[in-house]
Amino acid sequence: MSTVAPAAQEAPAEQEAPAEQEALAEKTAPEKYVLELADLTKSFGATHAVDHISLSVPTGSIFGIVGPNGAGKTTTLSMVTGLLRPDSGRVTVHGADVWKDPAAAKRNMGVLPDRLRLFDRLTGGQLLHYAGTLRGLDRKTVRKRSADLAIAFGLEDALHRLVTDYSAGMTKKIALASAMIHSPRLLVLDEPFESVDPVSAASVTEILQNYVAAGGTVVLSSHSMDLIQRICDFVAIVVEGSVLASGTTDEVRGTGSLEDRFVELAGGRKTAEGMEWLHSFSD
Amino acid sequence: MVAQFLGLKLRLLANSFRRGPWQVIGMLIALAYGIAAVSLAVAALAALRTASIAVATGITVTAGSLVVLCFLLLPLAFGADDTLDPRAFALFGLPTTKLAAILALTSVIGVPAIFIIVVSIAQVVTWTRSPLATFLAILGAIVIIATCLLGSRVTAAIASSVLATRRAREVSVLVVLILIVSISPIITIALSRGWAAGAPQILERIARVVGWTPLGAAWAAPADAAAGHPGSAVLKALVGLAFLAVLALAWRALIGWMLVSAPRISRERSDSGLGWFRRLPSTPFGAVAARSITYWIRDARYRTTLIAVPAAPLVFAVILAVAGVPWTLLALIPIPVMCLFLSWSVHNDVASDNSAIWLHVASNTAGWADRLGRTIPALIIGIPLVLIGSPLFSALSGAPGILPSMLGVSFCILFAGLGLSSVISARFPYASVRPGDSPFAQPQAAGTSAGLIQSMAFVLTLVFSTPPVYFAVRGMIDGAVWTGWSLLVGIGFGLLVFAGGVAWGGAIFSKRAPELLAFTLRN
Repeated sequence: MSTVAPAAQEAPAEQEAPAEQEALAEKTAPEKYVLELADLTKSFGATHAVDHISLSVPTGSIFGIVGPNGAGKTTTLSMVTGLLRPDSGRVTVHGADVWKDPAAAKRNMGVLPDRLRLFDRLTGGQLLHYAGTLRGLDRKTVRKRSADLAIAFGLEDALHRLVTDYSAGMTKKIALASAMIHSPRLLVLDEPFESVDPVSAASVTEILQNYVAAGGTVVLSSHSMDLIQRICDFVAIVVEGSVLASGTTDEVRGTGSLEDRFVELAGGRKTAEGMEWLHSFSD
Repeated sequence: MVAQFLGLKLRLLANSFRRGPWQVIGMLIALAYGIAAVSLAVAALAALRTASIAVATGITVTAGSLVVLCFLLLPLAFGADDTLDPRAFALFGLPTTKLAAILALTSVIGVPAIFIIVVSIAQVVTWTRSPLATFLAILGAIVIIATCLLGSRVTAAIASSVLATRRAREVSVLVVLILIVSISPIITIALSRGWAAGAPQILERIARVVGWTPLGAAWAAPADAAAGHPGSAVLKALVGLAFLAVLALAWRALIGWMLVSAPRISRERSDSGLGWFRRLPSTPFGAVAARSITYWIRDARYRTTLIAVPAAPLVFAVILAVAGVPWTLLALIPIPVMCLFLSWSVHNDVASDNSAIWLHVASNTAGWADRLGRTIPALIIGIPLVLIGSPLFSALSGAPGILPSMLGVSFCILFAGLGLSSVISARFPYASVRPGDSPFAQPQAAGTSAGLIQSMAFVLTLVFSTPPVYFAVRGMIDGAVWTGWSLLVGIGFGLLVFAGGVAWGGAIFSKRAPELLAFTLRN
């Protein structure tokens, strides 16, 4: 997996610092936290989609962001990746401010947005080439990495077909491959496992874990609590634009499962009353 | 059940007015045009009541057949409103025949339906000349209405099921477009030459043939009865009824087939290698250029531009030729006009990418590389076009000395237009057809100022081409020395505007990239 490892490896960060992590460490050195969000806000009209979110993502970890639909996960990640201008607040990637020094910050970041189109009239191979070239890679490197990524994601046979003819899961995989091709320090993935089959999800997970072992950092959002609990070192629960809990996965989930904790924080289950008619079937 | 479906269709129609103030204004304007056209048609049909039978026959049958043809063909090309797609009701378990009948009935609610109903009734007024003619006119009206409405549903269903693959849809759109483009000059010539030679005779001759076809039979039946040919009148009525029966059977069969078959998935197409990406430099600029060229070739939205570019000056020239403009002047038009359309066609290029533009934003692509790359396809087509076309058309004009001027003016329009488009597409994007939609589909949220921006891009390009035009005109009046100036000034000034436009547009793009993405997401 040398193709997806960060260009320059850093000394693996210490991960035994949950207490400091809770304290939203503001004065930490850039090597320790590759991504920091400080007081990020975004409103659409009267709705506060993101309401003063601050997070620090330690280098060399998988950081999960979970939350109910419409909690502001995608909005937050869009502001992190430079796709959506925040109303206020600061995002730094490897010490560079995303909104003041986008060139440096974006160079270190690989992005998988949710529900945005791809240039889908290109073939898979062309799309990878396009993404790599826009990131400034030369022809030889792009060709080598495209071939490696295609094997890693099981897309060898699909590289010559138009992306518009891909299934939803394959589209997600080619987008993931495009996000990694320039070997960034940080991967920001919005719903990377949505509509990906279990076999591919397992191989994607393995790719991400190897990448993290080599010093890379992954921030991902997902609806699948099991998956987050299994692969994430850190987790933040976001509800209505605010962080309700964050820390190591074990801290956040406490004694129960992450799903229980999440449902509790997100406002509890709605009991389905008045649906008795569903139990008596019409002829 | 029928009432529910009719109610649903009414609600859908009413909701189309609830989108946005500008859309409502657009629809009101369209409605006003429609009402004007219908009133005109009704007045004409009423006036024909007192005209001679031959004249009335010629006009009603020819025009009527054309209307029926439009109802049949337009859904094929433009993708008719399929708000009540039969497939949407597949899960309700209604009997197929009943569903087919109800869906056919709902097509009575709609703007085109009102148009054809009013016109068909007005047609009865023309033919109340004898009892048989009146009876056949009333019967004809019913047949015409049913044929038009059912026919458009059938072709729309064919368009959305049989021609549902991306490939088939693109091909069918192109075929219809080529048909329209090739017909328009013929009609223009026919009309202008025809009126002088005596239009009524021509229309009557057309009517005599078309009257026996399913398109015109129902229109022609009352006319024959009024002219005293009851035999052929009844036969024509039967032709109309038979066609309607065929349509009804086809509709029933299509519904039965659509309910049980999944939407067709396009055949996967393979494309070997990297194509244009291999041929162009491996830099962000080269990649954007390769991507643009690939899209111009593969995407139906760009291919319609490719057809419109040569077609526009052709239609233009034919109309002027009919109006009596001499050939020597006409030969000056095509190349500059093609350059104008070519450079103008990229003035909303960012909007065509839709949200895929995020890739440029996330990878911090340099603004100038994005701007310059997008102009490459137009330059690849435009430069050879000017170099080959200009000598050809200056020779045709009979004044070969005009060549330097034509080169200067054409290049200036091409370069300056592309520079302007680079700025406009970064600064003033407006809603465009989404990737994969029919090139003629209405954008979902039409921008407030699409028309304004389009005309601005057009007029500004013309303004920026005035320097070489000035020298070209002096060259015609004062002698050949000035044509050289036209060439130099045209290329020099054009390139200057081009470079300035790419630089300025690039700066705007770099600064406003997130806002551009937000715009495409609203779209």
